[in-house]
Amino acid sequence: MKPAPFDYVAPIALHDAIALLERHGDEARPLAGGQSLVPMMAARLARPTVIVDLNRIVGLSGIVVDREAVRIGAMTRQAEALAAADLSAALPLLAQALAEVGHPATRARGTIGGSLAHADPAAELPVAMMALDAVLTISGPNGERRVPADRFFAGAFETAVKTGELLTEIRIPAVGSEGHAFLEIARRKGDFAVISAAVRLRLADDGRCDAVRIVLGGVAGAPVRCTESEERLLGERPGSGLLAAAAGRIPADAIELHSHHASRGYRRDVAPVLVRRALTLAAARAGAPGLGVPAP
Amino acid sequence: MIGARIPRVEDARFLRGEGRYVADIRVPFAVEAHLIRSPHAHARLRAIDIRAAMALPGVEAIVTGEDLPADLPPIPCRIPTHGDLEPFLQFPLARAVVRYVGEPVAVIVARDRATAEDAADSLVVDYEPLPAVASADAARAAGAPQLFAAGNIAAEWDFDIGKVDAALAAAAAVVRETFTVQRHTGVPLETRGLLAAYDRARGVLEIHGPTKVPHTNRATLADMLRMPHSEIRMIEPDVGGSFGVRGEFYPEDFLIPWLALRLRRPVRWIEDRVEHFAAINHSRESRFEVTAAADASGRLLAFDVRLVSDLGAYIRTHGAVVPSHASASFPGPYRIRNYRVQATAVLTNKTPSGTLRAPGMFEANFARERAIDLLAGKLGIDPLEVRRRNLIGPGEMPWFVGTESVRRPTVFDSGDFPDIFARTVAELGWDKAPAPAPEGAIRRGRGVALLVEPSALGPFEGGRVEIDADGNVEVVTGATSQGQGHETTLAQVVAEVLRVPIERIRVRHGDTALIPHGGGTYASRAAVMAGASLFEAAQKVRAKAIRAAAEKLEVAETDLELRDGRIEVTGVPGRGLALGAIARMLSPGNPELLRPPKETLIADNEGLAAVAYVRAVPSGTSVFAVHAAEVAVDIETGQIKVERYVVGCDVGRALNPAIVEGQIVGGVVQGIGGTLLEELVYDEFGQLQSGTLADYLLPSVHEVPAITALVFERVRSPTNPLGVKGVGEVGPSGVAAAIGNAVAQALGGGARISALPITPERVLSAAAKRGQP
Repeated sequence: MKPAPFDYVAPIALHDAIALLERHGDEARPLAGGQSLVPMMAARLARPTVIVDLNRIVGLSGIVVDREAVRIGAMTRQAEALAAADLSAALPLLAQALAEVGHPATRARGTIGGSLAHADPAAELPVAMMALDAVLTISGPNGERRVPADRFFAGAFETAVKTGELLTEIRIPAVGSEGHAFLEIARRKGDFAVISAAVRLRLADDGRCDAVRIVLGGVAGAPVRCTESEERLLGERPGSGLLAAAAGRIPADAIELHSHHASRGYRRDVAPVLVRRALTLAAARAGAPGLGVPAP
Repeated sequence: MIGARIPRVEDARFLRGEGRYVADIRVPFAVEAHLIRSPHAHARLRAIDIRAAMALPGVEAIVTGEDLPADLPPIPCRIPTHGDLEPFLQFPLARAVVRYVGEPVAVIVARDRATAEDAADSLVVDYEPLPAVASADAARAAGAPQLFAAGNIAAEWDFDIGKVDAALAAAAAVVRETFTVQRHTGVPLETRGLLAAYDRARGVLEIHGPTKVPHTNRATLADMLRMPHSEIRMIEPDVGGSFGVRGEFYPEDFLIPWLALRLRRPVRWIEDRVEHFAAINHSRESRFEVTAAADASGRLLAFDVRLVSDLGAYIRTHGAVVPSHASASFPGPYRIRNYRVQATAVLTNKTPSGTLRAPGMFEANFARERAIDLLAGKLGIDPLEVRRRNLIGPGEMPWFVGTESVRRPTVFDSGDFPDIFARTVAELGWDKAPAPAPEGAIRRGRGVALLVEPSALGPFEGGRVEIDADGNVEVVTGATSQGQGHETTLAQVVAEVLRVPIERIRVRHGDTALIPHGGGTYASRAAVMAGASLFEAAQKVRAKAIRAAAEKLEVAETDLELRDGRIEVTGVPGRGLALGAIARMLSPGNPELLRPPKETLIADNEGLAAVAYVRAVPSGTSVFAVHAAEVAVDIETGQIKVERYVVGCDVGRALNPAIVEGQIVGGVVQGIGGTLLEELVYDEFGQLQSGTLADYLLPSVHEVPAITALVFERVRSPTNPLGVKGVGEVGPSGVAAAIGNAVAQALGGGARISALPITPERVLSAAAKRGQP
């Protein structure tokens, strides 16, 4: 397992990196944390002839938390984000998702932006970003553009980032008082998710749900937003029967992924269970009464 | 010293990263070999065009099957069991046909691995794909493609003991179930590697990297190269695990040394993980159709078994040992007088297989212990009670099962099974704590498995002990080490006899130049066989030292005692000789030896040293073990959490209890992998789907509970002077059985947990089918 021959460039300015990517087109790949790209190169499944190393570029990493939003530079290491107390306080859902991403060793090098741009169908961060209504900034030869998360993930390993462009920043609007949950089923701790669910749920003063997000991962090429389930909940007070009914409305047809670790049938059978549990946890955290102790 | 819980002496260098593995060894002018492997499961190999690949700068040579000697024999099967396996042996490089994905077809030798892989892109191999059979059933179907002119069945055999049909007819309860065990393998942390160099000056072909059975491998290589054994030296470096799969004689074990001779340069080959999954011996894939019967009191009356074992595309060095052991050991530690098994070893277009820790035992224990729980359920008798009523008692030892494997009868040499069972059950405390109630979606269950693990098989072992002029002890054993801690336990044996501190003892292993004959390490034999040979050698050294000291000090031998590295006159402190001084006295160069009597021939010329070889115990030693698991099953997701695991076993005598416990705990972890996670998945075209560590799931610390190893020294083995039994394979052997029983109990309703691995999907399926026939 040795990579095919390649040239290596490590620019220090973003515009140089973009120029290189535009010039070499599909022959070039950007290198962020390398936790996905490098193993693929070693196995010769990916054979870029030019590697554009992004790690020397100043200004692409860092976390800024203010009252309006959290901004995360794309090159921020997953470990740094997980350790940032202000990030965990502002976005506990993201912190929970990060805790499921790989292992300490991979999080030390892996980046937030790298995971999102790679868009593995089983990855956790795309699911969390969609649930959090994140907006992703893409920089290219013609400047910057911003794409909301639910239009960023097009399919398995496919995003809105075009050749010659780079994901450079993620902006997540601040969350108010709400409940959240991120749950995952994997064959082992730290593995890619077989099914993951990110849920946010807000209760108005009268105890009725006035905002909710339910996103499923690991079931299709891109994360799946469960709008029918969300609609079932809006305006209602969450009780265990309602939550189960809402979980029953996730779109079974949208669940397509199939592997020898978990068949499509298994994912279709178990996704409602995971969503029900995540809704129960989020609703309880939002202050809904009488939901009992949620299953682990 | 024996029985002391000392830390392992080898660990200091491993923990500091100072181990010396084959990839750490560098010799000048070495070139790197890279094997080109078939991407087809079954194909005619028409032609290989090497011209474009050879043109790449840095490529030294490319060899194919046509470059090997025309009369080169195939790699032999070294362990006879059943049938004539000659037609199914593998040549180091494929000739007209390839029979599994991963089969070597060529070797590229280049300045480094990257260059060799670049050259591989330009190698043109002309395959004509053929239909493949990827399962034992497909291989046995009418009209199936045949792997060999002799067909797809490697061997068939049977045992028929007692009167099975009559017992089945008279039974109060009969269960019939089919149990399947998946293909998996050992996955050592370090992949294989070889560094071969021919020293033209000394006329020695030196090979670093062999392990497990280097003397046997040297003999095989010498035969295939038509070289004298004395011109080949195999040297075991530090080795990162084996579990049975590493160290057998593979195609690379011929090719790399052969290339070193042919190219007249040192040749290095370091296996990468992806090729390892397709190249290393696979194991365990089998199906047991079991009929089990008992009377109304729970007495087991009969087992009737149909066993089909999938051995992959070729017969390798271990032949059909795995299903042979499974068929011979199926009855387990119970008083079974009626047992019938029909076994078939089938060849398919998949990687060939061999032994893996607890070979055949892991599989047979799963099928048998699950069947016993099914019987207990049918009879309404507690599963522990059924076992208690059928366990062979101490007065019935030695127990002859009535079967044989590797041409030796299956015999349990010693043991008090009921006592060990009772003590382990007492430790579990299940009678005091009621079965836990459901907790939301969580169901908890408990399961046990009882088994006898054979160990210490194999013909002989040798060892040498020498004390030098400084009183340091050098120990050379014919055994090898892949991480079991032999440098420590064997030193403890010698320290016990010679009364020398461990720090002054160094154990050398796995080097064919240091001891002329060696048995090797497999079948958990080192503690018994290497231990016994070194015990004898150390006794000889001790006797020699006392005799020499008695002569020198002019006292009777009975007036002397051995203490702290000295031989002293009892009761007269200060009047004695250090062992080092005695070694100096006995060395051939010692002028005193040249004084009268004036004989030219120096008798006893080895100094203070001795060699001892011990013969095998024909049926080995037998370790009785109890495995117990407590699990929590989420019946909505199918996920299983093992919450507690206990193993109780009688090892006869523990040389180092900490090492014994470590062996058991590590083995249980490996067994959990095989029970819940690991699988080598092939599609119907014979393509390996789970050939990387991303897809082949190994357990980590998150997937295992606290594991308790209860090590009993209840009945010493009568087969060796130390009374030791080999324990290395007890850990994995009962895990699938115990966890399978626990999961079935958690689900209740006669849930059918009959297929490994026990995946969440299988749990949900079993839960849904509860109550159905």
